[in-house]
Amino acid sequence: MSYMVAASLEQALKILHEKGGNVQVIAGGTDLYLKKPLPDLVDVSSVPEILGICRDEGMLSIGAGVTHTEAAASAVIQSEAEALAEACRRVGSPQVRNMGTIGGNLVNAAPAADAAVALVALGAKALLVNHAGSSREAFVEDLYAGYNCSYVDGSSEILLRFLVEPCGQGMGSAFMRFAPREALSLPLVNSAAFVRLRENIIEEVRVVIAPVKPAPTRLVETEKLVLGCKPGEDIWRKVEYTAASEVEVRGSLLRCSEEYRYHLVGVLARRALKKAVERALNRQRR
Amino acid sequence: MPVTKKTGVNSETGIPGPAYNQGPDVWDKVTGKAVYGIDLQLPGMLYGKVLRSPHSHARVIRIDTAGAFAVPGVRAVLTASAIKNKPYGIVVEDEQPLAGDRVRYIGDEVAAVAAVDEESAGKALEAIKVDYEPLPAVYDPAEALGEDAVQLHEQYSGNIAWERDLERGDPEQAFKEADLVVENSFSIPSVHPTYLEPIACVASSDYMDNLTIHTALQSPDVVREIISAALELPLSKVRIIGPVMGGGFGGRVYGNLKLYLLSSLLSLQTGAPVKMQLSREEEFSVGRPMIAAQIKMRMALRKDGTFLAREADIITDNGAYSAQAPWVSKTLSERNDALYRIPHIRTRARLAYTNKVPTAQYRAYGNQAANFASESLIDQAAEKLQIDPLQLRLKNCTRAGDVTGHGLQIKSCALAECLEEAATRIGWHNRKKNRGYGISAGIHASGSLVLNQDFRGASARAVLELDGKVTVFTGEQDYGQGTYGAFSHIAAMVLGLDARQVRIYCRDTLVTPHSQGALANRQTTIGGRAVQLAAEDLKKLIEEAASEMAGQPVKMQEGRLETASNRDLKLEEVARYYHYRTSGLTLNGEGRYVPPPSAYDETGYGNISVTYSFAAHAAEVEVDRNTGALTVHRIAAVHDSGRIVNPHAARGQVFGGMTQGLGFCCYEGYLFDKGRVANASLADYRVPTAMDVPGMEYSFVETEDPEGPFGAKGLGEVVQVPVPGAIANAVADAAGSRVTELPLTAERIYRAISGGECER
Ligand SMILES: Cc1cc2nc3c(=O)[nH]c(=O)nc-3n(C[C@H](O)[C@H](O)[C@H](O)COP(=O)(O)OP(=O)(O)OC[C@H]3O[C@@H](n4cnc5c(N)ncnc54)[C@H](O)[C@@H]3O)c2cc1C
Repeated sequence: MSYMVAASLEQALKILHEKGGNVQVIAGGTDLYLKKPLPDLVDVSSVPEILGICRDEGMLSIGAGVTHTEAAASAVIQSEAEALAEACRRVGSPQVRNMGTIGGNLVNAAPAADAAVALVALGAKALLVNHAGSSREAFVEDLYAGYNCSYVDGSSEILLRFLVEPCGQGMGSAFMRFAPREALSLPLVNSAAFVRLRENIIEEVRVVIAPVKPAPTRLVETEKLVLGCKPGEDIWRKVEYTAASEVEVRGSLLRCSEEYRYHLVGVLARRALKKAVERALNRQRR
Repeated sequence: MPVTKKTGVNSETGIPGPAYNQGPDVWDKVTGKAVYGIDLQLPGMLYGKVLRSPHSHARVIRIDTAGAFAVPGVRAVLTASAIKNKPYGIVVEDEQPLAGDRVRYIGDEVAAVAAVDEESAGKALEAIKVDYEPLPAVYDPAEALGEDAVQLHEQYSGNIAWERDLERGDPEQAFKEADLVVENSFSIPSVHPTYLEPIACVASSDYMDNLTIHTALQSPDVVREIISAALELPLSKVRIIGPVMGGGFGGRVYGNLKLYLLSSLLSLQTGAPVKMQLSREEEFSVGRPMIAAQIKMRMALRKDGTFLAREADIITDNGAYSAQAPWVSKTLSERNDALYRIPHIRTRARLAYTNKVPTAQYRAYGNQAANFASESLIDQAAEKLQIDPLQLRLKNCTRAGDVTGHGLQIKSCALAECLEEAATRIGWHNRKKNRGYGISAGIHASGSLVLNQDFRGASARAVLELDGKVTVFTGEQDYGQGTYGAFSHIAAMVLGLDARQVRIYCRDTLVTPHSQGALANRQTTIGGRAVQLAAEDLKKLIEEAASEMAGQPVKMQEGRLETASNRDLKLEEVARYYHYRTSGLTLNGEGRYVPPPSAYDETGYGNISVTYSFAAHAAEVEVDRNTGALTVHRIAAVHDSGRIVNPHAARGQVFGGMTQGLGFCCYEGYLFDKGRVANASLADYRVPTAMDVPGMEYSFVETEDPEGPFGAKGLGEVVQVPVPGAIANAVADAAGSRVTELPLTAERIYRAISGGECER
């Protein structure tokens, strides 16, 4: 059993390489310690390459080791990737947000991981490097391998950063969450949306909902419905209906009835989309 | 008419006597040093574990324990046939330490083992083979009362553990004459006290069968008697010592008798100390939640709003065994009747056995469940009559000098003032748009006399130590509610000392005066009065000894002993003088407070308590009409708990009780999948977190109660009572329709708004 705190990326990769898969990356540990972690752990939470929020060639570059608390408090994320700030603000509890990282949230791959839901709506890309030192880029949306299962292998690969297009002219995003309690409660439904408007017409849109499948799920039909439309009062009822119709959800004794969850899917998808549109319109006017 | 005085939120002064004292174990708790039951370790200690029934209802055909004995490290294996297994109970004797030929719920105790460590004990359980023959089970209490229902206990036919049919006045006539009759049915689930520390105990014994049980209890002296009787051990051989209690909320009055009995049996068998504790999951699934209730209620009113009569048909869900559930059912079905002037009353209450987790008691004894029903119904009437809900309550509320429908004598009561003040604080007359407002009242017994008619009061001893400090010996219990802080304060006030000079010695049945325990708001009202009297007695003894020592009269004033010739004597001088002169005795003041007897007839008519506390709460909420999501913005609580002896502790009680009331109303509640508790974890049994707590404000309207010490009345239970009614009424106001089932989840509120449908 060992616990190694990597001081640099180089060191972390070296350990991964030497251990040949018998070691696991740990960041905040809020997910890992609830499961059975491997006996040998590499703590990456002080590796400079995965920390901080900065701009990189016109993109927002957000470290995988950024905690939910940091992300929620970041002025840049609040103004240019609102959905992510709103999602991180709602994760777990203050204690969990102080420890848990965005990267860990994605790699843990829970169906309704709040930050992951926002990142998918924002069209974020992930930047990864493996133990051999070769890097790759992938859309966050493509990194879920299944239920609680990620294509990022924390025993051979390190997730470095997320790249998000900052919301500028005519763009907006938003995140909505419905849970029975203000803290320590997984969402019955969460939803995030991103839109880009041109002359009041929706020319790009992503609406994401969870938990309806193992991964945060794009509402393809709803996106089709609104794409090319000029959003007005007439569309929102249809959004609600379409969103609820294109997913399959279940009810449970502990959470809520199936019927009610369908209803929430519609309401939350509408609210996220509507808020994203409002923000985009505000940015157009400026 | 008693004097009333208002104390505002920040009032920490206005109390005569010395400064506030937090109580003996606050610092230990804050710094993590306090030793709780789960921390206890004794040399040579074994670990006990219980094998539980996986069936809701089954016949036990055969138990084979041979495998368990073969597990290394196992020291004892007990089954029903290996022990005396004497029936015991608190109100009805329907339990045995281990289930014999029949199990009645998932979790029923079938066998117990003790081993050198937890792991071996766990292995031993796995090695026990039990053959069951499953029997049909009944889960719904109304169904259990039906004619062909499965029967749980032969001696309680019809599955009725307790019932009551009560009539005061002439309700039938009153309903006939009424201008308005409103009615509704309400459903309240079982709730768990959810104290922070799961119940744990260590039982140890010697070769003479002297048994010592280390466990934190609200009523150790009563539990001691039950254990002595159930184990057929002489009372003098049973001693209970309490570590620090990690919360109680009524759930630790008699705690988990099963656990104490089984650890005692295992210790008596092995001669070694045996530790047993419940996991959090066991707390929920085999611990003792409060009964669930189905309440059908009707109310008759005159056009002008005068209450004429009330009728209730109540079924409470006992689960498989009874404990205090009959008492809780009684309070639930009766106490609320005293809140308003209701001349004609009919109540039918039945406590039904079901194949589910057994129940016991919880803070406020179901009074908060009745409050939800009755206060909801009052608002229904207000709406029909177009009378402001506040005015309707003011018109009918109980006042000082009243003798209520059930014969309670209301000696002090500021309920009307509480109602007005709560309404003002919440902005009743100045409402915000899109918000809902609700108000509700509450009464609770303060110092119940009926637990044991012969042993109604309390006693205490106050001893002058040789260093001039005072030690108070009390049998009352503090589980965080501030009893000991209040006691040192009371003794200090009498003696004119600083409260820090008064130490409290407690939680040891061999040494501390015997008590009925921390329940029914006895602590301050009855226990505190005994402390006051003991301190007064000590003061007299000190003056006598000092006078003898000085050879001239000495008076004790503001903590100082002054002779007639203006000489100051030190307390320690007097203490030592007496000590030497008596060859080792100390000055020992004794106080006994014996409240007047409570005479009540066979229908239960009579004054059941020393006095009564009152409260009114008002809530401001917001409801999201599209989802039913509820935001409780503010709750204003105004209390008449007599004179407030310790403002800090009182504030803690109010905030804690309101939060627990919020949990009861909006978050908590058992969910059952047939007989299985479906939410037996803190993740799924939702209590409000710090982030869920709304804005809370409070004030006290201080009455001078003739009975309590310095006019003080109880606060700990009444504070939870009005919360559900206030929130439920605010939700109905905001939503435009009423939810009659607790907890008030978003889904239920949404369905009430949408007429039951979930639109899609
Ligand atoms: C009480 C509680 C409540 C919670 N509530 C919520 C909630 O409401 N919403 C929500 O979304 N989540 C919630 N979570 C889950 C958790 O807090 C988040 O998923 C968190 O973001 C995980 O981050 P971490 O840094 O703690 O990950 P860790 O536990 O350190 O790691 C999780 C996984 O990610 C891998 N990993 C971490 N960092 C990297 C990296 N840089 N590169 C490669 N692999 C990596 C690890 O190997 C591991 O497999 C809750 C957790 C708890 C304990």
